[in-house]
Amino acid sequence: MSDLAGIMLVTMIIWIGLYAYVYRLDRKVGRLED
Amino acid sequence: MYLRRRNPKDDHRAAVSAGLGLLFAVLATVTGAIFARIMWGAYWNWDPRQTSITILLLIYAAYFALRGAVPDSEKRATLAAVYSILAFVTVPFLMFIVPRIYFSLHPDVMTNPDPDNRLDSAHLRVLLASLAGFTGLYVWLYTLGSRIEAIRDRRQQEVL
Repeated sequence: MSDLAGIMLVTMIIWIGLYAYVYRLDRKVGRLED
Repeated sequence: MYLRRRNPKDDHRAAVSAGLGLLFAVLATVTGAIFARIMWGAYWNWDPRQTSITILLLIYAAYFALRGAVPDSEKRATLAAVYSILAFVTVPFLMFIVPRIYFSLHPDVMTNPDPDNRLDSAHLRVLLASLAGFTGLYVWLYTLGSRIEAIRDRRQQEVL
């Protein structure tokens, strides 16, 4: 794996993790609203 | 918005937005310092952009200090709204004027007259992708923060 592909993979994992975390928060807030 | 409508929700939205602004400014400062260490050999160089982000962080800190210092909610909302307008006046100065007055380690890649020193298409794609990613994240977190404030308001009213 080239350096660039490695950096892209790590960046994608961080972004997906970040959005997944916010999605979990969103669900939690949704439950509190009910 | 609060000064015109006197709606507490506008004040809550402003506070949520300022909180996110502070979070993103801190992230930019920390990741920028790591980048500076790799590219220029030191975490901090007092470059004009680094100086302007320090001032920006202080402006945000003063906003939250002001909010924390006023117990009365109506007075706090009015003062915070007025302060926000005054703080916004500094944005063009800090963003566009200061970094262009003095020599900066940050290259001017957008408006540089020399085409060789402009951003190439690969870097531009990365920049636009992160801009879209961070804007989406900001909008989502802002909506979430506003919904949390609405829940807090509803619960406070239920208690009273």
